[in-house]
Amino acid sequence: MTDDRAKRLPEAHLRCAAREGCAESRLLLSRRAMLGVTAGLFSWAYMPRFAEAASSDPRLLVVVLRGGTDGINMVVPLGDPHYVSMRGAIAIPAASTIPLDSFFGLHPAMPKFGAMFQAKEAAVVHATCVPLRNRSHFDAQDNLEAGIEGKPSVSATGWLNRLLTALPAGAPVKTHGAIEINEAPLILRGPAPILGWSSTWFEAYRNPGLKRVRTLYQALDTQMYDTLERGLEANRLAGGYDDSNISMLRKGFRGAGRLIGAAEGPRIAVLSVDGWDTHSNQGGTTGFMAEVMSELDTAIDDFKTAVGAAWKDTVMVAATEFGRTVRTNGDDGTDHGVGTVALLAGGAVNGGKVFGDWPGLAPNQLYEDSDLWPTTDLRAVFKGILRDHLGVAKNLLNGPIFPGSAAISPFRNLIKSSAPAMAAAAGSPAPLRMEPGIARYRRENPA
Amino acid sequence: MALSPEAAQQTLIAFQRFGLGAKPGGPAAIGADAKAAVRAELDIPNIALITDPTLPGYGKACSDAQSGKAEDWRWKELAARFDKHMAVQIGFVERLVMFWTNHFAMSVNKDDEVRGTLGQWERDVVRANVLGKFSRMLQGTIAHPAMITYLDNQDSIGPNSPVGLEWGVGFNENLAREILELHTLGSQGGYTEGDVTALAKILTGWSFVRGWEADNGYNGGTNQNRGRFIYRSDWHEPGPITLMGKVYPAVGQQQAEMVLQDLAVHPATAEHIAFKLVRHFITDQPTAAMVRPLKRKFLQTKGDLKAVALALLDLPEAWAMPLTKLRTPQEMAIAHYRALGARFSNDDIWALSAPLDALHQMVWEPPTPEGYSDETPTWLNPDAMRIRLDVAEFHNRVCVGYYEGNVVQLADSLFDAALSKQTRNRLSGLDYPNDELVILLTSPEFQRR
Repeated sequence: MTDDRAKRLPEAHLRCAAREGCAESRLLLSRRAMLGVTAGLFSWAYMPRFAEAASSDPRLLVVVLRGGTDGINMVVPLGDPHYVSMRGAIAIPAASTIPLDSFFGLHPAMPKFGAMFQAKEAAVVHATCVPLRNRSHFDAQDNLEAGIEGKPSVSATGWLNRLLTALPAGAPVKTHGAIEINEAPLILRGPAPILGWSSTWFEAYRNPGLKRVRTLYQALDTQMYDTLERGLEANRLAGGYDDSNISMLRKGFRGAGRLIGAAEGPRIAVLSVDGWDTHSNQGGTTGFMAEVMSELDTAIDDFKTAVGAAWKDTVMVAATEFGRTVRTNGDDGTDHGVGTVALLAGGAVNGGKVFGDWPGLAPNQLYEDSDLWPTTDLRAVFKGILRDHLGVAKNLLNGPIFPGSAAISPFRNLIKSSAPAMAAAAGSPAPLRMEPGIARYRRENPA
Repeated sequence: MALSPEAAQQTLIAFQRFGLGAKPGGPAAIGADAKAAVRAELDIPNIALITDPTLPGYGKACSDAQSGKAEDWRWKELAARFDKHMAVQIGFVERLVMFWTNHFAMSVNKDDEVRGTLGQWERDVVRANVLGKFSRMLQGTIAHPAMITYLDNQDSIGPNSPVGLEWGVGFNENLAREILELHTLGSQGGYTEGDVTALAKILTGWSFVRGWEADNGYNGGTNQNRGRFIYRSDWHEPGPITLMGKVYPAVGQQQAEMVLQDLAVHPATAEHIAFKLVRHFITDQPTAAMVRPLKRKFLQTKGDLKAVALALLDLPEAWAMPLTKLRTPQEMAIAHYRALGARFSNDDIWALSAPLDALHQMVWEPPTPEGYSDETPTWLNPDAMRIRLDVAEFHNRVCVGYYEGNVVQLADSLFDAALSKQTRNRLSGLDYPNDELVILLTSPEFQRR
């Protein structure tokens, strides 16, 4: 093939596009309803609680790091002889990292997470990835959130929603657990009631007008009244108007902490953090990615403070759709890759450890001669947390929640003390796909 | 208040269910026969069109999208769109435009190709055909670079085509799948996975000219066709292809055009669109009694969208069912602007996007090809209801500033006798008229449709 012909190949064109910046990135922002790098969408579910379940009152925060986080420069494999040569100008000097163990050092932009690690309240799983490894943001994020092997179809449900629907029936759901089917992330989408809260920057509409609106709704439209009241209550719990002069992202983490820390609050929360798609000028010890990491680090610390006494019962897991190429590209950045990290933090985490099998960075150890070889399926991490922290039974983990994942064993020892298993009897698990309106109409009105 | 309660209720339905919200004096102007006024809007010449000679045509939009002007054109197109929303009396045609734009949902965030051409597509494909034939809107959409890009068809190559055999590359099913599931037949519309694959093969070679092709003369690209649709015959899967039991001969580009023509008048398509129209305008739970008359009209007229719109207005439920849906965030913002007689400034376009981002419905930025939801619970949720109050306050401060008018008088002119006494009683007596205005803008009369 001539050079000329090679240039005409679509693949060659795509590689050019990847170097110029990732066209998908902007779409990611809007499809997840973000306001930018430092903003977060946040939703939560009221989780049924059971007398027969864990004696504690577990909380779970799932953070989706969108854009593909470079795990290699976040949790740096200092002991790997190929790290410095592969990373070149953006390699993190060993001396600047926060020591984690004899092999790994943490990027210096994350001192608070580092302190949690040293206090055994944070851990890392390295060289993990979702099962779908085609390096597409959309496909891989959808795959992470849908909890299935491949690409979900339209109207797919998310694994956290299926978790809620699959839990045994008859549990005392919080009475103010209401329906929200907003632009919730796919991970929460489905028939289980989900309540949402967003950090916004608008001035609050206040009394005396607010009081009049509430009584007006009460008088004329009870559905609008009930819904607004729940929204106001959620915002009150989250302290939504109290934080000024901090980023939307930090507001989101603080709100999440206050909400799941509250006695009457929800027990599961989901947050998104954008800004990880570092194709160019990624930076090293300082620079673009360092700033994003610093913001995340501060936000996690905000969350810890806000969740308060419930921290001891809390697990935060932060996961991303894929890692970055092991080698840098020509723009001091990294392109879409495969293996990366998952971060855990919380008083319930069996912390102070970097879990996972390290595959190595030598050229012959890379996935498709490009990426960190994923030695752990990300579903194993989620399954380990659900089993040991929430006590979710195996048949639910392998059935409705992560279908077809029986061969992927739950990752062991991520949690300090395992919760007793809940009853194995399933509730009414949501299907993998919600029925589109027209399909329902056709079923109910056969020709 | 000049109207009887019954007449006022019909104007409420006209402006809320079918329109973009009243402007001051709106109910009085159409109160004699609200239904006739809505029907009459369809007969106004060029009612759907935006005739602004400064906006780009097809070729310029396609070319400019590749030369860094996409974002500029997006905002100019949006400004023109909102001017149109503000100008019309009732806005039924505008609502239909919004419906069809959402039916063929695309997001400007995919890339500059969509970002720079979506406004032109909406003007020249949706608006031009919104009271014409569905088949023309469908054909014009699928052959537009915005849709080709959005659903990833530009590099779809038949494996047995000359280029496919030489390069060993294949086809992409995204566009074909969404045409069948979202744009025409709909889920459970009688097609199989095999039909998706067949349509994907039929659409191989449907592409557009990328910048690097125009720059270098590759793959048929030139400076003249930069950014435009192109059919690449040497990428097209050869031979006849069977779709839903019918054999489509190997006639190149026309093969897909024949398929689209058949899909556009298929009974499942008629039913799907009838269902979606009823769900959008009237109720989350369309019944067969409401869907079938529209489906029948669609089939009788081979997809004449004006006839179908009239059939929608002719449903008894259209004027009798209570207003149980909620205005979408976009509809609410437009209704605010119309009620206040002022919108965001073109220099402060963030004042449009910030509230719609917060409520998750920015124009031309749907999160998936399914488009924005047409079901009430999506919008009537606790978080959004709280934010709606703040947005109402934001809109009246940004668009109006310090309000010095009489809110009760404004409410009377917007709702006439359809204004509840509970709402009316709350619109006076506060220290700041802006606070009273928010009550009006968030009242159930204003929010429900």
